[in-house]
Parts: sequence; structure tokens; C-alpha cells
Amino acid sequence: MFKELDPILHSQLRLAVMSLLLSVKEAEFTFIREKTNATAGNLSVQVQKLKEAGYIDVVKEFKDNYPNTKCHITPVGIKAFEEYVKALQEYLKVGQPKL
Amino acid sequence: MQEEDKPMSESESLALITAMINKAKCDYEDTGMSTLLWGGVITICSLVNFAGIQLKINGTGNIWLLTYVAVVVQVFIAIRERRRKKFTMHEDSAMGGIWISFGAAMFMFSYYTSIFNVPSANTIFLIAYGIPTFATGYTRRFRPMLWGGLACWVFAIASMYTPPPYILLYSSASAQLAWFIPGLILRRRYLNAKKGNV
Repeated sequence: MFKELDPILHSQLRLAVMSLLLSVKEAEFTFIREKTNATAGNLSVQVQKLKEAGYIDVVKEFKDNYPNTKCHITPVGIKAFEEYVKALQEYLKVGQPKL
Repeated sequence: MQEEDKPMSESESLALITAMINKAKCDYEDTGMSTLLWGGVITICSLVNFAGIQLKINGTGNIWLLTYVAVVVQVFIAIRERRRKKFTMHEDSAMGGIWISFGAAMFMFSYYTSIFNVPSANTIFLIAYGIPTFATGYTRRFRPMLWGGLACWVFAIASMYTPPPYILLYSSASAQLAWFIPGLILRRRYLNAKKGNV
């Protein structure tokens, strides 16, 4: 029986954000936007969804007198990501032709 | 990546994960300014000190006071780079801790060797130079610094069998191999990446 893929992570932009945040300790919103090529509005919505799921933490602060948003992945997010990758690998294993 | 819920196959998902992880890794940028600064300062100090001893000019040892000026410049570089950074890597704080402890140790070694007559004090410095350099090269997988750190230790061993003034030449060679040359490589990479982003 296959595990269902996490619907929060099985979305192109949210998965891209999570993969990016997994590789760094924390990243500014502008950095994530540059790397994902997403619009600020769309990215904001997806970041909010990840935050509501408890997968990432969002910290708002001031940098040189300008508002600055920083994101980092949470332990819950790391666990969810690992489970997601494991589930993907299961799907791919079955999809491979047997020699 | 505009659409929110564009359907993805399993292999597309894995490809996206790999691509994003690689993007973050490739984006790590060191301006090379700190490594160039220290590589340059230690080379100048060692060579001036060596020349002073050879030419019997008094007071050339005071050139090492230049390192205190370099500390001030280093603080400015660190503040500027910290402000500019849009993300931090997992190993950044560990690397920062290693270099700060190295700075503190160097300050104490300098004080210790100035009040006590330590035989071949430069050997101790060479051993110390190798520690953060090798650790940085190893952690960041940056071979020039890894080899630079090893070079410091090779020169440290060689310095145990070399008359004191000539050890200063080892110090300058170590500074070149451990910091100045890696610094030039990092600077070139940084400028190329910056050019690519424009």
C-alpha cells in the first residue's frame, strides 16, 4: 500500500521553498523569491501555508530601517520533507522496470 | 514557477528538490576580502621583518603592529558582509566560532611570546595558521584552503629545523598559500557570479 504524498509539499512552489530552506540555516524572503522565480504575492501565500502547517518559521524584522522577512525550516518540516522523499522513492521504485 | 498547484510526477518532484538544493549550494558566496586582507598583511609583515633582520635595520619588528589595523578593517568587512547576506548556511556559525577562537588564540600567543623568550615562536604561529584554514577548506570543500592549511603545517615542521630569520619566509609563503591565493580564487568567483547576476 502506497503512502499518500503530503499535499502541502506536493506543490511545485511549496516544494521548491522547502528544498531551498532545507539547504540553508535561514533565508530572506527576497532570496527565496530570486531562486524560485515566483511573484511576491504567490510566494507570500505559499509561505503562509507552510507556516500554518508548522513546516517553516517566519520572522519579521527590520534591516537598515526596512522590513525584512526571514524564513527557516522547523523540525516538523524536516520530518515531513523526509517522509515525502521516502514516499517518492517508494513510488519510483515500483515504477522502475524489473530486470 | 508561477502556478501554485501544477501537477508534478514523482520524478519531477525529485528533480525539483535536487535543483533547488544545488541552487542554494551554488549561491554560497565568499567575497574573498578577509582572506586577501590577511594573506596580504601577514606576507608584508613577514617579508619586512625578514628584510630588516638581514639588513640590520632596527625596529622592523614593529611592522607586526599592522595586524592590529587589519583587525579593525576585518571588523568592518565582517559587518558589511553580514548586512549584505540574504541567507546563512548551517556551517556559518561554526566557521565564525573557529575564526574568532583563532583570533583570540593569536592575540594570546603574541602576548605570550612578547613577554617570554619562546624558542621559535613562529613555529607556533604556523601551526595555529593551519587549524582554521584547514577546517574551513574541509568544511566548505574548498581545496585551495585545505591545501593551504596543510602547507602551514608542512612549513611548521620545516621551521623546527630552520634558523630563526628564515622561518619568516615560511610565514610569508604560508600566508600566500593559505589565504592570499585562495582569496584571489574566491574573489574571482565572487566577481564572476556578480557579473552573471547583473
